[in-house]
Amino acid sequence: MLSQDKTDYTYSRSPSYSLDVNSDNNMDNYDVPFMSRRSYKASYVPSVTPHSRMPPKDTASSRRRSARLAAQNGEDFPDQSVSTQFSSHATIKPSQVRPRSVDPAMGRAKVAPRSLRGRRSTNQSGLFSENDYGREEQSLTHLYDLQKIVTNDQEVWDMIKLNVSPRDDYKPFLIVTGLDEFDDTELSELLGDLLKQKPAEAVGIDSVIVVDNIPQVGQDRISKLRNVIRKIFSKYGEITTEHYPEENGKTKGFIFLEYDSHDHAVQAAKNMTGYKLDKSHTFSVNLFLDFDSYGNIPNDWVPPEKQNFVDHGNLKSWLLDPDCHDQYSVIYDGGETTAIFKNTPTEGVLVEARKRWTETFVRWSPLGTYLATMHQKGIALWGGEKFVQIKRFAHQGVQLIDFSPCERYMVSFSPILSTSDEPMAIIVWDTRTGYKKRAFHCETASQWPIFKWSPDGKFFARLSTDVLSVYETPSCGLLDKKSIKIPGIKDFSWSPSENILAYWTPEAKDNPARVTLIEIPSRKELRVKNLFNVGDCKMHWQLQGDYLCVKVDRVTKSKKVQSCNFEIFRIREKLFPVDSVEIKDGILAFAWEPVGSKFCVLHGEPPRVSASFYNIKKNANIELLKTMEKKQANSVFWSPSGQFVVLAGLRNMNGYFEFIDSNDMTVMNSREHFMATDVEWDPTGRYVVTGVSWWSHKVDNAFWVWNFQGKLLQKCARERFCQLLWRPRPPTLLTKEQIKEIKKNMKTYTKQFELKDRMSLTKASKEQIEKRQKLLADFQTLQEWLEQTYESQKEERMSLRGGLDTDNFDSNFEELEDEEEVEFFLGEEITEIDEFEYE
Amino acid sequence: MWDLETGKMLAELEYGSAIRTCGFSFSGNNIMTSTDRTMGKSCEIQFYDIRDGSQLQNNEPYQRLSSPDSKVTSAVWSNLDKELISGHDNGAVCLWDLKTGDILQEVEEHRKGVNDIQLNRTGQLFVTASKDTTAKLFNATTLQYLKTYKTDRPVNSASISPLKEHICLGGGQEAMDVTTTSARVGKFETKFFHMIFEEEFARFKGHFGPINSVAFHPDGKSCSTGGEDGFVKINYFDSQYFEFEFEV
Repeated sequence: MLSQDKTDYTYSRSPSYSLDVNSDNNMDNYDVPFMSRRSYKASYVPSVTPHSRMPPKDTASSRRRSARLAAQNGEDFPDQSVSTQFSSHATIKPSQVRPRSVDPAMGRAKVAPRSLRGRRSTNQSGLFSENDYGREEQSLTHLYDLQKIVTNDQEVWDMIKLNVSPRDDYKPFLIVTGLDEFDDTELSELLGDLLKQKPAEAVGIDSVIVVDNIPQVGQDRISKLRNVIRKIFSKYGEITTEHYPEENGKTKGFIFLEYDSHDHAVQAAKNMTGYKLDKSHTFSVNLFLDFDSYGNIPNDWVPPEKQNFVDHGNLKSWLLDPDCHDQYSVIYDGGETTAIFKNTPTEGVLVEARKRWTETFVRWSPLGTYLATMHQKGIALWGGEKFVQIKRFAHQGVQLIDFSPCERYMVSFSPILSTSDEPMAIIVWDTRTGYKKRAFHCETASQWPIFKWSPDGKFFARLSTDVLSVYETPSCGLLDKKSIKIPGIKDFSWSPSENILAYWTPEAKDNPARVTLIEIPSRKELRVKNLFNVGDCKMHWQLQGDYLCVKVDRVTKSKKVQSCNFEIFRIREKLFPVDSVEIKDGILAFAWEPVGSKFCVLHGEPPRVSASFYNIKKNANIELLKTMEKKQANSVFWSPSGQFVVLAGLRNMNGYFEFIDSNDMTVMNSREHFMATDVEWDPTGRYVVTGVSWWSHKVDNAFWVWNFQGKLLQKCARERFCQLLWRPRPPTLLTKEQIKEIKKNMKTYTKQFELKDRMSLTKASKEQIEKRQKLLADFQTLQEWLEQTYESQKEERMSLRGGLDTDNFDSNFEELEDEEEVEFFLGEEITEIDEFEYE
Repeated sequence: MWDLETGKMLAELEYGSAIRTCGFSFSGNNIMTSTDRTMGKSCEIQFYDIRDGSQLQNNEPYQRLSSPDSKVTSAVWSNLDKELISGHDNGAVCLWDLKTGDILQEVEEHRKGVNDIQLNRTGQLFVTASKDTTAKLFNATTLQYLKTYKTDRPVNSASISPLKEHICLGGGQEAMDVTTTSARVGKFETKFFHMIFEEEFARFKGHFGPINSVAFHPDGKSCSTGGEDGFVKINYFDSQYFEFEFEV
């Protein structure tokens, strides 16, 4: 079929590459419909598997004609008579017939279908000595992109599509025979563009791995070794070639393996490094390409260029505001615009506004130094007085971000799957240098943050099955080089003030559920608390790390939630005593007073929700301060400075707010911001912002600013308002004594501030009045002009209405005017009486 | 057309499509109507002289003006029978010269359709009410834009007080969206703005559907509102309204 009688002879002249389609040299096994068209001799043989999907029309005759035409080829060549043959089997993938290897000496490439490679060895740039491919080069065929040649002839192309392309994802190939009659120049003229696609020498080399630390064996045991190795390594894909270099009759102790694809080789190299074959043989596996690249490292080390220090100005400039006004970021216009405002008692003063500053949301760093904006390509940090860009962190498809409490490190997450073996999902960055510290794999970020930071930023930890991995900075390596094994560990949490970690494990066999406190880095267990009938645990630290509350859902044997316990750990007292508070209702919310010893629990079933306040007394029991019933609330927001708390009924509770003073348990104010979705306290606890975010509710997007007592200060309606975040403040630099001193002299300070506030208020109203006066003056000129023209048109108006003057509404109602006169008269009388009495 | 004293119908005009607006001229001698774009006809404004009975009887207006690009959603006579101001569904406001039939001036201050146009007492200023949640004040002679009154719901109607420098406007969530939301979200409120300062100083509730029409009484002491809920409410102002003055 493929003119076998003509094969095997003109290889050296053929600059093109050939396709070994048939290992058995028996193309007649294939049923190939025949078609003769134009001046090329081309056979299309896209398949090696003899499954005929379309029965040939006339196999016998096609064979005959094919043979005849093949015979004519020699004579017909000047006229370029052609036999184009199409196969009906189109089950071959381009990857299967991909040109695999090149023999530079022969100046051509061979292509072998996968099924042949087991028996065949590819000559990988002289890497392997074995060579037994002689048998296969039976047919001289040239591989071309079918489409390029025949698309000019619609009829032919239709035929091809009909015959060969039952599946679109298989790129059809065309094999042209007999091109050996051309010489090189003719060929490049004819098919120049195709010759350019000739594969380079390096193709296929990327699937080779080098395995080191293989047992050195003699000839007698080599086949056994091969079997063992093949068994181990074929887990990662089909091994197409293997090579065992020998020396003095013994293997050298390293081998080369070629996989059928690069991905498989990468997988093997990644997973098999460190594989223990036996006591003395631990595999070391590398990609062959890596040897190349490491070999090419230049000998002279060039010291990196010294980078100039870039001064971004004072990054803490916003703290120098003379009136201590806090800043907040607002995203509105449905995410189009991001702006920074300064909050003053009367209005938000714009500091900076930019279009498309972020693509999704923004985050402030924990101490307020940086503003992080999220982009498809990564994260940008902004700061300084004018919000200049400070650093950029390239992380494709980044979605989530987290900072270490000290701001020194940043963690970002992207769900985009990495294509290389390098982890890309989670990256730990150094915020100051912008360098990537370490990257981790991660499938989902359903529980963000995945890495939780210790309060000083020295450690960060991550939970996986039965293991808690604690990493240390700045190396970002595992603490003591190993994770902590905790069978069944469900959740953990850092203390916000010390390097103490709390975690819990559920009941298992005979062991009860446990809440454990350990100290890092010593890993010393500080306290273990056994719990029974545990369904679930939630850990809440008080912000100062004084207390830990573990909310325990108690279940019956049938896994039904029965009641709820709060186990309160007193961290500052000896031996960490634990108190328990039980609440029979369902729990809606729990919140610690950030500074202080109180906590608030919302419990019950909506709409009958109660809010209970508890206080922890030193060396005494926990006392219930008050239970407030029938509250319309589903969230609790404590002021950052304690004492004041907002009970909020967000979203489906219509945005109902109660402002409570927890010192005397009074409700200072009950107000409503209809459909509010968010509540944000400012970092000083002076203001509260409630907002209706466009992200969750599409109408009436606005944020309202209240003071801590629940007095509404401002209503800021912004079109498609999305998010408001207060800029955090770093902890105060004042010592405890200084704070005490200030509290003592509060009265003198209050006077100063009250004066200041009053002045700013009068200033504001003065400005308002000035504005009105200006508007009035501007309008005055127009009004004068209007009056003049109105007068001038009086005649015209009267003529249009038949001579009547209708300018004044009252003109025809004389009685009405009379009444007014009477009133005036009475007024006069009264004055007279007054005078009379005086006399 | 009706006789107000007797309640007798004087004339009936048939059109192929819905009538959007109608109005008497200053003299009361002419009337104007405008039709929708539907039924294959483009939007048109017709003018009749009612002194000529045949015009009304045979539905033969003495003048027709067509607005092919946008629909006329509101219109008033202006400049003493000589001009017409029309508001369009694309937010444009046009001033027509009725002698020539040309558009003298066109402004596009609104982003969405103009629902209502009302003149002030002297006919020299007019206020537009638009779906884009604002009402705007214009000079009727020059079509110069003067002031904006912002709300957070579509404005269906706005009126200028003949007594004080006040604007009254009404609207609310569009009728088609109302069923999907609670009455509180609809904000069917009548609001009062100072005409020059653009500041809102009062509002009252009372309707449970969008307010389609507001109007001051010619004496400026009361105002009436008509809503989608089927009610027309007449609201008399209390003494505080008359005493209230902005601090200047």
